[in-house]
Amino acid sequence: MKKQPVVSPPASAATAGKKPTKAPRCRIHPIIIYPIRQPEDYSDLAGLYQLVAKLDAQRSRYARPVTVMDRKTYWSMQGNSAFRDFRNRTVAKHSDLVDAWCVDTCQMWYSGLGRAFEQGGPQDVYWLIPGDFNYGTAMGQEVLRRLHDLPEIVLELGQDLCIGEIEADHNDSKQLIDTYGTFALLYTWFPAEGQEIRRFTERPRSEFFAVCHSFLREVLERRWYGYEQTMVMLLQAVTQRKRISRFFVGQISDLPQGGESLTSALQQVERTERVLKSLWRERHRSDTDWLERYRLLETQSEQARRTASTILENLLGKLR
Amino acid sequence: MGALPYGKPLRAINFICVAPQAKAVSLVGDFNNWDPSAHPMKQMPDKAWFKTMELKHGHHRYAFLVDGHLTLDPRAQGVTRNDRGERVSLVPVS
Repeated sequence: MKKQPVVSPPASAATAGKKPTKAPRCRIHPIIIYPIRQPEDYSDLAGLYQLVAKLDAQRSRYARPVTVMDRKTYWSMQGNSAFRDFRNRTVAKHSDLVDAWCVDTCQMWYSGLGRAFEQGGPQDVYWLIPGDFNYGTAMGQEVLRRLHDLPEIVLELGQDLCIGEIEADHNDSKQLIDTYGTFALLYTWFPAEGQEIRRFTERPRSEFFAVCHSFLREVLERRWYGYEQTMVMLLQAVTQRKRISRFFVGQISDLPQGGESLTSALQQVERTERVLKSLWRERHRSDTDWLERYRLLETQSEQARRTASTILENLLGKLR
Repeated sequence: MGALPYGKPLRAINFICVAPQAKAVSLVGDFNNWDPSAHPMKQMPDKAWFKTMELKHGHHRYAFLVDGHLTLDPRAQGVTRNDRGERVSLVPVS
């Protein structure tokens, strides 16, 4: 068991003039992923940035928060005064803005986690907070009150990765995608690892997580995928026997702009398959019989994906 | 939120294990060094097993020992592993 990090003292203990202690300081780095499509109503983002403002005010505990904003978002909204005001007076006030051109959300994660990592130390923890959820609702407020548990679990219990799990009905599109798509494909390409992942979480694609410094470094150094990066991290964590925790953060859903239509659901299953294929090839390319095994798995994978597509069409088709 | 609660008192947490057929259930966790004899649970009239513990602020790993078998709490807010690599439950105390 890794030696547990010493938690930094509360702000009130940091008295001016006192000799600094030699205990390693560990800080939590919040990284907020700004929604790619700006919602018309700012109430959810306002709720989120109230939390960010509180974090920004506790510098002994938290590093300056980082917000990653896609340049597409900026350019599509630059003429909008409400957006400009919110960006300048709220987002930039309480966090360091990272403006980046990104092909997908996971690239925003990469930019934000990478930026925070460069400012962090070996005892630090990095906490990803997706921006496109309904934080302005009563349930969203409750989730915001619980989210801080994720990095604290990593710190207090010496974990490498803590996945935040949101509650979803069995018929929710996220649940359907994971049950019939993600896990079916994981069991095809990485059966043992897939089983181990499911012992911890039903949300292997969760956007809520916290990760320790050393594991983040390993993850950043490897190939980063444009999508389904949480699943890739979980696979890496399970393979390397990292310490994983799962914590329930509550009932929350994507904002309408991020809602999962059938097209989006099918796309997510296809992406998952592409990532798993690439990962499998990377891991087995030195095996002499890799191509033969790959072709066999590819056939099984296609069957799993088609079955998932049929189920998703049956259950989500009415939402088109 | 987030600030460390130095000096905060212990908080009473109720643990409930639904195992009506069990002969003995105890609560084990980081807080009692996973000692099976430290905190036996009491069977209530509804046959569920009950124990109140006073815990410090933070996140605690625990499990139920049901007739000698380590058992996860299905109502727990989280799952992790203990130092022996066994899957156990997580409770936040704030």
